[in-house]
Amino acid sequence: MNVLILDGGPRDGRGAACRVVAAAAADWARRRGHAVAFLSPDGMALEPCRSCFACWVKHPGACAIRDDAEAIVRAAAAADLMVWITPVTFGGYGPALKRALDRVLPILLPDFIVRRRETRHPLRYVRRRALVVLGTRPDPDPEAERIFHRLVARNALNWDSVHSASHVVTERDESGSAGRVEDLLRAAEEAL
Amino acid sequence: MKALLIVGSPRGQASASRALGGYLLRRLRASGLDVEEAAAGAVLGSPERRHALYKASDEADIVIVSFPLYVDQLPAPLVQALELLAERRRGAMGLTPWPGPFEQKLAAIVQSGFPETSQNLVAVDIMRQFAKEAGFRWAGGLALGMGGAVGRRPLEKAGGRLRNVVKALDIAAASLAAGGDIPDGAAALMARPLMPFWLYRAAATWGFRRRIRKNGARTPRRPT
Repeated sequence: MNVLILDGGPRDGRGAACRVVAAAAADWARRRGHAVAFLSPDGMALEPCRSCFACWVKHPGACAIRDDAEAIVRAAAAADLMVWITPVTFGGYGPALKRALDRVLPILLPDFIVRRRETRHPLRYVRRRALVVLGTRPDPDPEAERIFHRLVARNALNWDSVHSASHVVTERDESGSAGRVEDLLRAAEEAL
Repeated sequence: MKALLIVGSPRGQASASRALGGYLLRRLRASGLDVEEAAAGAVLGSPERRHALYKASDEADIVIVSFPLYVDQLPAPLVQALELLAERRRGAMGLTPWPGPFEQKLAAIVQSGFPETSQNLVAVDIMRQFAKEAGFRWAGGLALGMGGAVGRRPLEKAGGRLRNVVKALDIAAASLAAGGDIPDGAAALMARPLMPFWLYRAAATWGFRRRIRKNGARTPRRPT
């Protein structure tokens, strides 16, 4: 199984909790014998998406900006299980993960279809995929976490995921998070 | 009173988000408010512009953020710009905290290329959460589907199809200028479909396929 781990935390001290969670996920995947692609968008050369749609209408499947996003698109296209890790930022994803996800537009087709009663774009590379998104926060915030879980559910719909899960690790519980992370990843593995 | 518009579209001036936010800002100016405008992407590339944004947001009574939906939420440069604003207002990272104490409002305009307005609601909630974490009072959000139909032209030149959009912005501007929030009625008007969903899907798909054909492009099976 191909596992893509996107550690979306900042490279400075604020990303420490993300690094712990990402390391736990990578450790689990390697112990299970999976092929792991581990990428940290904050350390990559990633221009923001310009919304030019060249990846749809000029050179389908390839972004107009030639930078490290190509590696993310390739890994996402090949992934059976995607694990995204991010600081929960106003209930959403942090800038580094978001910049990476904005650039994965080439993986979609421009057609408008209905999926589970909502308009979506079909995937260019159809695959049985699972999505697990792990957020970190310094302290619990039920409202931010509620928004986060809804966002992940919507993203899972974009990817037509056969399984999705989300969990928020508060930094005071960081040491106890590894077991919970493994439970979520195991459930995704079983669903695939 | 002062109003600040932050445009969150990476397309900046040439965007539907700018067309919507710009119209609201002009209506506020017509009501006697001083207005200012910033582009989230430009702020990130220049320390001078970043500090200008801090100053403008400190002085604003109303901050309006207008942006397109990217992957069910805010575009990345806007997330980063708002994170910087929030950190500055909290006094994090050694930055000078916002001096306060007068009440400032935050309102949002979210538009997406999907027909269902409901697809924007998580992004509206994210903006409300930003308001809470950054110390603004939430004044409400306007969410629009079929944003592709707005185009980039000033809404003063828009045709009849956008009449509800224009009316919603007029109502929102009048309320904000009078010290109120965005009324539910304005949000409901903005949410009204501009055309039947099936028609929008068919027209948008046809439009993209036409551009593909025009460019002589083909769809590869794997990433190149």
